[in-house]
Amino acid sequence: MAAIVRISSLCHRGVKPLFHRSSLLLRPLGVQQKDQDRPYQLTARIHGSPSLYSGSGSKAASLHWTGERVVSVMLLALGPAAYYIPGPAIDYSLAAAITLHSHWGIGQVLTDYIHGESKIKVANACLFLLSTVTFAGLCYFNHNDVGICKAVALLWSK
Amino acid sequence: MALFLRSLTRQGTCLSRSQFGVLYRHAVPMGTTAKEEMNKFWAKNNKLNRPMSPHVTVYKWSVPMMMSISHRGTGLGLSAGVSAFALLALVLPGSYPYYLDLIHSQSFGPALIGLAKFGIAFPLSYHTFNGIRHLCWDSGKGFKIPEVYGSGYTVIVLTVLTTIAAVAYKGAA
Repeated sequence: MAAIVRISSLCHRGVKPLFHRSSLLLRPLGVQQKDQDRPYQLTARIHGSPSLYSGSGSKAASLHWTGERVVSVMLLALGPAAYYIPGPAIDYSLAAAITLHSHWGIGQVLTDYIHGESKIKVANACLFLLSTVTFAGLCYFNHNDVGICKAVALLWSK
Repeated sequence: MALFLRSLTRQGTCLSRSQFGVLYRHAVPMGTTAKEEMNKFWAKNNKLNRPMSPHVTVYKWSVPMMMSISHRGTGLGLSAGVSAFALLALVLPGSYPYYLDLIHSQSFGPALIGLAKFGIAFPLSYHTFNGIRHLCWDSGKGFKIPEVYGSGYTVIVLTVLTTIAAVAYKGAA
């Protein structure tokens, strides 16, 4: 086969076009045959960087990620707060932050290990139910019983 | 290859010599998301009843690996504990101080209380310290292998010290 595939045009353009936000990256391949005096041009579709989709896609996943980190940091702050200024405000904040952190964490575990559309739906529904009951139980405990901070203090006093 | 060139000749896809000219006739963006691709992978492989390649059973375990799965394990354990506590709070008729005193007054009571303190302190402190390590990674820091091991051992040492201190500590009522 005497055809020589030339990627010279790609070499000329260098790597920079790969980072451009075009919807599709195409590169012409110059195919030359010694006995032909006209080069034929083919195109090849190549995948660009994930930023391709940022225009048309939603930011839900990235916002979720950020939300997870924010709740984690808040939970870190609530620890010393619960020790130094225990009370209903911290009790309910802890109930909310713990439940949410837990819910999102278990959600990631389910995403990692459960596959198949219907199985994923069932698992997430069960998780939602569990988190709702957990939050309800913690709020009930805060309202009708001693509250989270006091409960921990009592356990550590025995 | 020759077939391809012949088909090109038929189409007459000769272009001018412009190096930067591109054919947008076939410019169609890819239609699937990463999630869809993943689902397709699992659907196909489950349908063909393919066994999973050995991974955790054949790969040599390392400290970072063990710490990572422990982070997940302690997280799940703590969540289970919190949910169990919340459920009991909804279901049991008596108050928390009543049940605490009830357990404490049993013969095995103080041991059980000590076990509860350890059962809370150890996973909570490990998950917290390793969680801080994770947040450092999220900010882009500490990915070099010596740093990963260094921060890992720091987490382990801090966990042990904190757990000992927590179990030993006895506060005022």
